[in-house]
Amino acid sequence: MAKKSGSVLVVGGGIAGIQAALDLANAGFKVYLVEEKSAIGGTMAQLDKTFPTNDCAMCIMSPKLVECGRHLNIELLTDTELVAVEGEPGDFKVRLHRRPRFVDLAKCTGCGECAKVCPVSIPSEFDEAICDRKAAYRLFAQAFPSAFAIDKRERPPCQISCPAGVHAQGYIALIREGRYLEAYQLIRKNNPFPAICGRVCHHPCEENCRRGEYDDPIAIAALKRFVADYAYHHRDELDRDPPPQKKGVKVAVIGAGPAGLTCANDLAQLGYRVTIFEAEAKPGGMMRMGIPPYRLPREMLDWEIETILKTGVELKTGHPIRDFRAIEALKEEGFKAIFIGVGAVRAKPLKIEGIDLKGVRLGLDFLKEVNQKGEASVGKKVVIIGGGNVAIDVARSALRLGAEEVHLFCLESRSEMPAHEWEITAAVEEGVHLHPAWGPIRILGKSGQVCGVEFKRCISVFDEEGRFRPKFDEKERTEIDGDMVIIAIGQEADLSFLTGSEIKLTPWGTIDVDPVTMATNIEGIFAGGDVVKGPASVVDAVGQGHEAAISIDRYLRGEDLKKGREKKEDLPKKPFPRFVVEKRREVMPHLPPSERIKGFMEVELGYDEKRALAEAGRCLECGGCSECLECIKACEAEAIIHEMVGSDHQIRVGAIIIATGASKFDPSLRYEFGYHRFSNVITSIQFERILAASGPYQGHIQRPGDGKVPKRIAFIQCVGSRDDEHDYCSSVCCMYAIKEAVIAREHDQRIEPTIFFMDIRAFGKGFDKYYERAQEEYGIRFIRARVGKVEEIPESGNLLVYYLDETGVVKEEFDLVVLSVGLVPSPPDLVEKLEIKTDANFIATRPFDPIQTHRDGIYVCGTVAAPKDIPDTVTEASAAAAAVQELLAEARWSETKVKEYPPERDVRGEVPRIGVFVCHCGINIGSVVDVGAVVEYVRTLPNVIYAEDNLFTCSQDTQERIKDAIREHRLNRIVVASCTPRTHEPLFQETLREAGLNPHLFEMANIRDQCSWIHPDNPELATAKAKILVEMAVAKARLLEPLHTVTIPIIPRALIIGGGLAGMISALTIANQGYGVFLIEREDRLGGNLNHLYYTIEGWEIPSYRDELIKKVESHPRIKVYKGVTIDEIDGYVGNYRTRLKNGIELEHGVVILATGAKEEKPDGYLYAEENRVITQRELEAMIWKKEVDRIKRVVMIQCVGSRDDERPYCSRVCCQEAIKNAIRLKEINPKVAIYIFYRDIRTYGLLERYYRKARKLGIIFIRYERNRRPVVERDGDDLRVEGYDPILKERIIINPDLVVLAPPIIPDPESARLSQLLKVPLNEDGFFLEAHLKLRPVDFATDGVFMCGLAHSPKDIKETIAQAKAAAARAVIILSQKGLRASATTAKVDRERCAGCGVCVSVCSFGAPELIESEGRRFSQVNEALCKGCGNCAVACPSGAIDHLGFRSEQTLAMLNIARRT
Amino acid sequence: MEIRLKELDEKFKYDIAARPGAENFTYCFFCGTCTATCPVAEVNKEYDPRRIIRMAILGMREAVLSSDIIWMCVRCYTCFARCPQNVKFADIMEVLRRMAVEEGYVPEDRLNLIDQLDQKVQELRCHLVRYLLRPTEELAGEIRAIINGLLEKDG
Repeated sequence: MAKKSGSVLVVGGGIAGIQAALDLANAGFKVYLVEEKSAIGGTMAQLDKTFPTNDCAMCIMSPKLVECGRHLNIELLTDTELVAVEGEPGDFKVRLHRRPRFVDLAKCTGCGECAKVCPVSIPSEFDEAICDRKAAYRLFAQAFPSAFAIDKRERPPCQISCPAGVHAQGYIALIREGRYLEAYQLIRKNNPFPAICGRVCHHPCEENCRRGEYDDPIAIAALKRFVADYAYHHRDELDRDPPPQKKGVKVAVIGAGPAGLTCANDLAQLGYRVTIFEAEAKPGGMMRMGIPPYRLPREMLDWEIETILKTGVELKTGHPIRDFRAIEALKEEGFKAIFIGVGAVRAKPLKIEGIDLKGVRLGLDFLKEVNQKGEASVGKKVVIIGGGNVAIDVARSALRLGAEEVHLFCLESRSEMPAHEWEITAAVEEGVHLHPAWGPIRILGKSGQVCGVEFKRCISVFDEEGRFRPKFDEKERTEIDGDMVIIAIGQEADLSFLTGSEIKLTPWGTIDVDPVTMATNIEGIFAGGDVVKGPASVVDAVGQGHEAAISIDRYLRGEDLKKGREKKEDLPKKPFPRFVVEKRREVMPHLPPSERIKGFMEVELGYDEKRALAEAGRCLECGGCSECLECIKACEAEAIIHEMVGSDHQIRVGAIIIATGASKFDPSLRYEFGYHRFSNVITSIQFERILAASGPYQGHIQRPGDGKVPKRIAFIQCVGSRDDEHDYCSSVCCMYAIKEAVIAREHDQRIEPTIFFMDIRAFGKGFDKYYERAQEEYGIRFIRARVGKVEEIPESGNLLVYYLDETGVVKEEFDLVVLSVGLVPSPPDLVEKLEIKTDANFIATRPFDPIQTHRDGIYVCGTVAAPKDIPDTVTEASAAAAAVQELLAEARWSETKVKEYPPERDVRGEVPRIGVFVCHCGINIGSVVDVGAVVEYVRTLPNVIYAEDNLFTCSQDTQERIKDAIREHRLNRIVVASCTPRTHEPLFQETLREAGLNPHLFEMANIRDQCSWIHPDNPELATAKAKILVEMAVAKARLLEPLHTVTIPIIPRALIIGGGLAGMISALTIANQGYGVFLIEREDRLGGNLNHLYYTIEGWEIPSYRDELIKKVESHPRIKVYKGVTIDEIDGYVGNYRTRLKNGIELEHGVVILATGAKEEKPDGYLYAEENRVITQRELEAMIWKKEVDRIKRVVMIQCVGSRDDERPYCSRVCCQEAIKNAIRLKEINPKVAIYIFYRDIRTYGLLERYYRKARKLGIIFIRYERNRRPVVERDGDDLRVEGYDPILKERIIINPDLVVLAPPIIPDPESARLSQLLKVPLNEDGFFLEAHLKLRPVDFATDGVFMCGLAHSPKDIKETIAQAKAAAARAVIILSQKGLRASATTAKVDRERCAGCGVCVSVCSFGAPELIESEGRRFSQVNEALCKGCGNCAVACPSGAIDHLGFRSEQTLAMLNIARRT
Repeated sequence: MEIRLKELDEKFKYDIAARPGAENFTYCFFCGTCTATCPVAEVNKEYDPRRIIRMAILGMREAVLSSDIIWMCVRCYTCFARCPQNVKFADIMEVLRRMAVEEGYVPEDRLNLIDQLDQKVQELRCHLVRYLLRPTEELAGEIRAIINGLLEKDG
């Protein structure tokens, strides 16, 4: 087998993935952390507060985000998904795909200017669609990476289908924001004729517009015209592009039609000297010749052509190129490339009898005459032959020139006519008579003058292959009289000037070019427009003109013409980002037909602003980002790359951890609750965002429907949980609903929350107390009922909630309904890629190994495996890390990086030479504070040797500038005035180290969060304040001194106290990684509570598992087991402990794990101990195991005997599953046994709910009782008699069982209390060990080096104990695996001379850092640097001022205050 | 009153669950959704589907099968649709009615009568809907005739 890899892949960047990544990276492994979204954080980042401590979720999580993001050995891959996995444990090959972010992570500074200018709003996924975010966005304010991302869904079909590639969605978005000139410029980027195409374009964009799938496509062309007209009227305000630099290279363009003009325009922009040769007297080609002014007013045409000519394009009109020699001559004149765009301007003749009669004309010639002279003579009754656009234009022009009757005949049927439908309609409105499906036989004449035409019926125009092959019915004929006949059956290119040249032509008489590059077969000659395509539209010509210009530029620079120009792969079509409400398109106002035919005035009148805005508002923004390119203009860091493409990566890793979390149930699937139908029915996670200060309403509680403050709020539990489809409990909803209700009350005392629930599942540590407080202190109403339905009261938007309580059916009115949505498994694609098994669609794990999937080397943690709360998730994450550490122990530190720094410069004795860097932070600071003035001011301060301002002080190039400045000016103190040290201090300190300075010679002034952001309206005072803030920092900087950390050696052994399940698992996990373990067990045998348990609810047998485990532990060469002994004394601190056992043995070790367990309390009352038919669940389990239950006929079980009462106000967590486990066993042994379970709340959380369901299926009867109405157990003669109360029938219920089984509480072991004294670690009020943080540090103590696991922490089941034991091992190994521990440099320091030895410091320190020492007859305090966290508590508390805090010395702080005081 | 389990039929629940349509009967966890959305419960306070299931589950065979309550269900199937445990209460009512007939608590033709009533009501409902959509005198006459027919039969 290949050598094991020391790298690990963690999939999913929520709290589970983050914790696993940190635990692994800190223990010597390289981690790839892959996240599908653009930032890590997961669901926890969306939460407001967390239960039961009411900590802010983001506040406690944010440091982890930063640590994870900045970690040298964590490679964060955002926007990335897993493609495939091959290989085996220790040696996996993983393929990943990284989607384009469109923002360069290395360059983006997170300033947010792109989002400010972005015109596209998309419902914010982070705020659960309560509000919108921009397409250029950051997932949330504290996101890591802090770089923005651009959200592109599919490439907008309007843009893809435009031959010129105009960013239609982009300019529509800009119109919506009233940014018309920006919109105009965006169009002009791809199309120099916005005003022309806004009028005459055949707009394929509209045919492809996805709005058309609903009602009408967006009127894209009309909007373009609106913008162009606006720009025309405001043309003085348009930015004048600076005249392009002349490259001196000459290019000739033949033909001043749309293709030639576009090509010339593009080339001129690129700096070429372009000359256009045009045969006619005026430029414009068919735009001028073919399109009548009533469709395209001449001032628009002239304006747009002029705009092109102003870029320096030379135009030679009246300069036809008559033959190929003329082209050769151009080359000789120095034109290095030639573009041919002469169009298709020759009318096709019709070979027919009578064609030479007087009064017969060709359509194109007629139009040319009309358009050039403004007039032409027409007959009284004009007959037109042809059904294309030219024919229609001829017909409409003839009407305007005074023809009394105009008749149009064409071969095609009405629906097949090639002219655009809207043109035909307009012609008919104006009075043109249509005669479709007629083919001309001959033109009739009388004395040389035309007098009519004879037609025959045309049956079909095209054959089956679509070729032009008309068929006629010779018998059906008609005749029309007329004094003028105009033939308009098409036009073709006149290529006579190419006669004799080598230029290749197509069989259709067009120039043959490469379809991508527009290059002809002759080098240096390119062609485009109608001369290539045959008669087509303006926008097609524009598109080809662009492509030709790109080719000509490449050709002239000697580059490959084709590279990278293949058609872009389309992004997948996604569902629309929002719900579509029908709204038809805005009507284009027209001149009335009677007015139109009076002359050549423009027919379409264009949208006014109101219509344009309404029409633009209909855009569905199906592309997400509209590619309006405004962000590129706004981004000063030049970080935006719209052309970015995705990339594939292959990595080799030794193990994989899956931490992709769960999804939230979509409550619109539960129709009766009205989600999506009623605006004031929201989900719990939406309410979470509403509560959050960073949320859509800044923490003001209001209804999304109308912004009103809700008073009566109903929480409906189990929406998408505990039902037929989701036969599990989501574990977290009860607690988060209670928390949300409590926080809502804290926000606003007038709010009255009601929680509708079935069972309150407050099974975690401290949860039941929280539940009690919610009722008693906060007055939250709890109603035990599942809501049947919710109806809206339309007038008020309030909601009627139907439920059943003890009084009957109630209809109660609420202002807001919050649906506590459950967790649902994520889509199965990842599972399929990994080839692992699932259980209820959650990832399945193996018996007695809750983090091991069914594929070796792939582990799982968090809600992807089953619903669970944050502490259980974090515990599992550490446990998964432990499993990986174990698997890859031999490869530890093999793939990690260590940063090398230059030797530190000794600055002692130097006069302070301070360098100050003041940041603009884009415009975050710069737009408010006069940064230049601050720099000027700073330069006047004593000791400031150097000062400068930076656009972004945090950017990579600025770090280099800082290092250069340190060297060049021999700086020995650095001050940065910018944002917050919370996110940026480590970066700058790193820069100092790289420049050879001690990192503590650095000080930061926060002139953004504390200045520019809060005083945006008062720049003058803000500038003054910024000066003071920087001066304060300078004052402190003068007094900064280098600080050094000590490195503490580590004894690589662990002491584990308690040889039960937790202790044994921890011991094996650590020992298997090569570290020594001392395992201390008070009793004479290992196993603890496992010695009294026989099977789990899943059916796994415990005794065999236990015996195996004990064997492994006792035979392990690195585990030394001490049985029948307890601890006498523990001394020392992290890395260096010395422990004496009661038997006198002394042990040295680096860490301690407390696994002292807990035990079953003996029940009080219920005849227990008086009556042998009253037993505990554990005793029943033993009876079942020993098969002593076959004569039992009727059993009563009573839950919560001694739990959840005043004495023990906590839930023992496992009793519900124990009772159900044993009840199911009894039923399986004897289906006839009757079982009644008296309970208060059934707490079968997570997947355990399925066993509750199974118990009901088997006919086990559950009877709920209230705390103050417990069932009573008595003797009834020889019988047992249990009397209870059935709350459903509201009757007393009397059962005569032959067995009563009690569920007593789990209570902490007394040894825990003694150890808490010895190690100075805390217990909670129930006597269980108290962790450093209930959510995020579930196995740590505040004291470094001491950990806990198992029942000593709180009641839990076997799987949870195993996970926690592994987690504790993982955390311990992080210490054991280090070569030495670097203590913090900013620690407290005691001045022994001033210390009175009073011990106040000892009492205020949570970390046990100070201790009192006796020496030379007096007592004084001494701070252990290894334990000090630098919190400063002792320095503040010391009555004699003997403690100073390094880095925050009193004189440093006073120096700052003196500056502040002066002002 | 009190419930003495000794005097009840603890097997009753299995008898019910053994019948087609009532397999999920014991899944009920008494959340009250059925009653909260039941249109009969809205007009008749005595009618409480959850209570009926509780009585049946505890084994109150006689009380359930002899009760008029089990004949009140209009089989609108709202409870069926809303029940989180897929207990199929409307089908269980059907089972209970059959058991009531089988065990002699009610005359045999009660089921037929109910079926006929259902049919008539269905017919009436269809006519009423038609009438609401497009009222005609002819339809009104037919509707009156059905109602009169029903009253005569019951009278």
